[in-house]
This record gives sequence, C-alpha cells and structure tokens, in this order.
Amino acid sequence: MSTDLVRGWVGRTRPINKYVSLATISFRQAINYRAALFVNISLTFLWVIVVYHLWRAAYAGRPLFAGYTWEDMRTYVVLAYGINALVGWRIGSLMMSTIRTGEIAIDMVRPLDYCGSQLARSAGYSVVEGMLGMALTLVVGILFLGIRPPHSAGEAALFILSLLLGFLIKSLLVFCISLIMFWTTNGFGVMLAQEAVIQVLSGALVPIALMPEALRVVASVLPMRGIVATPVNIYLGHSSGTDAALQLGLQALWVVVLAVLASLAWRRAFRRVEIQGG
Amino acid sequence: MADIVVADHLTRTFRRPERTGGLRGALRHLVRPQWRTVTAVEDVSFRIGAGESVAYIGPNGAGKSTTIKLLTGILVPSSGVARVCDIEPFRERQRNARNISVVFGQRTQLWWDIPVTDSLRLLGDIYAVPAATFRATLDNLVDVLDLGPLLDTPARQLSLGQRMRCDLAAALVHEPRVLFLDEPTIGLDVSVKARLREFIALMRATRELTVVLTSHDLGDIEELCPRLIMIDKARLVYDGSFAEVTDRFGWRKAVRVTVADDAMDSVAVARSALARMDPEVTGDGPVVEVSFDSRRFPPGEVIKELVLALPVSDLALVETSAEEIVRQLYEGTLALASEPEPEPEAVAGDEH
Repeated sequence: MSTDLVRGWVGRTRPINKYVSLATISFRQAINYRAALFVNISLTFLWVIVVYHLWRAAYAGRPLFAGYTWEDMRTYVVLAYGINALVGWRIGSLMMSTIRTGEIAIDMVRPLDYCGSQLARSAGYSVVEGMLGMALTLVVGILFLGIRPPHSAGEAALFILSLLLGFLIKSLLVFCISLIMFWTTNGFGVMLAQEAVIQVLSGALVPIALMPEALRVVASVLPMRGIVATPVNIYLGHSSGTDAALQLGLQALWVVVLAVLASLAWRRAFRRVEIQGG
Repeated sequence: MADIVVADHLTRTFRRPERTGGLRGALRHLVRPQWRTVTAVEDVSFRIGAGESVAYIGPNGAGKSTTIKLLTGILVPSSGVARVCDIEPFRERQRNARNISVVFGQRTQLWWDIPVTDSLRLLGDIYAVPAATFRATLDNLVDVLDLGPLLDTPARQLSLGQRMRCDLAAALVHEPRVLFLDEPTIGLDVSVKARLREFIALMRATRELTVVLTSHDLGDIEELCPRLIMIDKARLVYDGSFAEVTDRFGWRKAVRVTVADDAMDSVAVARSALARMDPEVTGDGPVVEVSFDSRRFPPGEVIKELVLALPVSDLALVETSAEEIVRQLYEGTLALASEPEPEPEAVAGDEH
C-alpha cells in the first residue's frame, strides 16, 4: 500500500512552498466545479452583450466619448467583463463561509499566514475561473464583437503585468473589507456593498473618464481603478510610455499600501476574533 | 518531566449583544446596542508534563473549547498566560502550530473534493516536512490506521469512521509534540471508537506524544487519560487523577447479598443489624442491597455484620462507577466544595 503513497512523491526530494501547494490544491478544487463554472460564465456573458448594444446605440449619433472610439469602447466593455471574471470574488465568499461556520479554526491552527493563505486560495481559483472566463471573452470578443487585439507584444506584456497587479489589489481590498465579518459574522451585506463599490470605482461599468467630475476625481485616486481601468487603458494604448510606467508604479504602490493595511487590519481582527461554534 | 502545556490564570471574556427577541428587539439593538460581558474561561491554571495524557472535561458551555482555542493560539487571552512548548501560542501562532495538532471530531481538516493522499501531501508541504521523513511517517500511519484503500478517495466520499482515521493521520504527519483532540469519537460506532483509542494509546507510547482530550465519552477518558481536569462555569473545579475521583467520590458503596431463606423479612433484619451505620437498605425478593458510606465504615465490617445477621448465599460489593460520579458532578448533585475530607492539593482554583 505504500506504493500508492509514494506515487505522489516520485521525483520530490523536498516539500514545495506551502502557499504554492495551497494554490495548487485550490486550483484542483475549482476544477471540480467546472460545469457550474461554464453555466456561470455563459450567463454573465449575456451582460456583456447588453452593454455592448447600449454603447452601439450611443455611438450611432457620435464618433467619440471622452476620447474613446466605438472600437475602443467595445473592446473596453468586453475586456472589463473578462477582467472582472478573472479576479474572482472567491476570497470574500471563502472567508465568509469559514468565518460564519467556525471552519476558520482549521486554517488558524496551521503554520500559515492568514492573509497569505487567502491570497493563495484566491490565486488557485482565479487561474481556473479567470483563465476560462478570459479565454472565452477574448475568443467571443475577437470573433463576434470586433474587439481589437493588442498592438504589440510589448503592449500585451504590460497588460498582463498590470492585470497581475490588479489581481493583488482586488484580492487585498476584498480581504480587508471581508475582515469586517469578524465583527458582524454575517457577511452578505458586506459582500454586496463591496461588490457594488468596487464595480463602480474600478471602471468596470463605465470608463472613469466618462464619470461626473466629482466621482472621476475620487475614482482616479483610489486603488480600485488599478483593477480594471488601468489594465484596459494599457491594452487600448490610451496609456503608454511614461504614462503606462506611471500607472503601473501607482498600482504597485497601492499593492504595498494595501498589504500593510491588510496586515494591520488582520492584527486588529485577530485580537477580537471569536471562532464560532464549540 | 518538563511541563509542556501550561495555563497560568487564563481568563477570556467575550462581549455578547444583549438582545430582546422579535423585530422590536432587533431594532432596539440597532439604535442602542447593549452588551453583556460573558466570561468563558476564568482564572484557569494547570500544568501538563511532556508525554502526559489529560482529559479536559466539563458540561457543555463550561469553557473547554475556549481553553483549547487559547492553547492553540487562535484566541487571545483577556488576561493570564498560556504556554505550549515554551511558546505563548497567540504571540507566535505559526511557530506554535508546528508543535501541535488539533483534531476536531466535528470538522475535517481534509480538503473536501481532493483525494486523501493529496490533502496529506499538502499538509506535508505546509509543515515543510522533508520528503524522506514524510514518506516514513505516512507509511507507518497508513499501516497502523489501515488507510491503504482510502487514499485515493475524496474526503467527501468517506464514512465518518474512515474520515476520522484519515483526520488522525493528517494530524500526525508533521510529528507534533502535543495533540489536542476535541471530541474525537463523537458519532462513531463502538468498534471504530475502540480502534481509535487503541491508536491514540499507541501513538502516545511510541512517540511520547502529549495528549489533551476533551470528550463527553467517559470510555475515551477512562481508557486514555489517567489524569482529569474538570472545568465548570468557566472555572477549574478539579485537577487530579482519574482514580482519585473514583476514590474521593466513590465512597458510597453497596453490598448486595442474596439470602437463602426467603421467608424471613431480610430487609428489616439487615436494617436493625446495621442500625448504627445508618445504611440505605432496599430489598427485591431474596436480594438485599445495603448502601453505606465507606469512609466511615469499612466494607469488611458491613459484610461481617450482614453475614452474622442473615443466611447469606451470595455476596457482591458494588462500587459507584466513574460514569455515575462524573454524571453527578455535571449535574451538580455532587458538590466538590462540600467534600468532608478535602485534600487541599487536589482542589485547584478558589471556590468563592
């Protein structure tokens, strides 16, 4: 029977990094639900079609909205949807269920950093859910909705880098906000509120340039823009060269700030933590 | 024997919302929340030596789980100090985690949709167990717990007993020094229970594992834990050996005799013969049971008197079972404070 066991360890001479291992397991866990995933992605894709047609009607009378051509805009809409799917909400819903049921005790009796393990899980799920969502978005988008491919390989690389930073920003944000559940223990309100706020301020619904003055100023400063608006604008070539570098730097800065905030907030939450159940 | 688990005046309080029922109560709480402080663990102190096996018991809501959470570092004490392997668990939660393991009878630490092997491997990674050690430890666990046929099964398809066996293996892959078992046999059938107890005893013997067990199952306690720590209403009420509990509180003994001549009124005869001992005498046909205080009168004396007074054909000495004693302790019918001959060493915590 020991051969069964060794099978998983062939070629392994040392343990792999615990967070990488955790992300891998989450990835495999996510694959188990691929049928549900396909249904989910397909249904939400309807949303893209609706927004696409709204904008098409708007562009019938005008060639340009805040510097976006119709081609830019349809690319924006489709990509924004894809990115939203890529950077899932897993971290929030996973934290919610473990905090509510007290399952979190099992996470915490292990030598794992709480924030780190939530990010690792989120990464594992995002690879499955996000890659599938993104692939579907790009295929359907390029084939049927006429979105434009990136201009160059360099631009594509910057886009991917910006996307990764955006993933970290969103995960850390959701982590910080989800910590509120340690005080309220019921997370539905928190989840809905954060989702709405992040949707708007990230530019997932409407490009930030099109927002009313006051909101635009707020949205340009806050970290949420780094989730959707920054990567899409890099993809579209609306920010390139020094501007692109500046935007990426801003994203990186927010990642650092949020990571510090997350660890401070976690320390506070931990002092107060009440593990539910006996 | 070095102390490996130490609780020093541990106290933990919680703030609970004070809410009256119904919509009105909910609204009132929203406007002006009222809080009430609940003390889950109050001034609890004990020391557990390396390799010891201790049952930590008490009625539901007494504060057992809170203590375990304080010792595993997932709760911060309100005051007092916990120390496990010379580490304050909540200050160095991750370092503490490498020394300990926790098995929750009601929760699994296996990943639900993933074959058991992979969960075990992930745990090996999390604890950074060197591959060769991991393989050796696991081969041994697989062998002893007979996990071979279960390894490729996802956790969700396991029966409760199978899952518990896998959970125990999962708890031991990193060779912890202290194992906390939180109601490990809850819901298991008799034979599975017996196997688990056997396994835990074996691990204790072969690995110098320190075991802290919370359970309502007296079988678990009796078989695994020579020492008993009892907590009630957040306070420690007893810390001593299991045998001593039976000695201290098992003083009510009974002599049951069968009388050869069933024509005589044996109950009345026994009563008058033993009058000075103030016994409780009950009769059922030829069987007479005399229950007495064995601290005041040695059983031998009672038996002698009975044999002289009655034509005894059969005789048995009945001791109060541990189960009965613990049940009475839980119900509060056996007061620890009013013990007539208190041994000051044994009663820790004050009783005011």
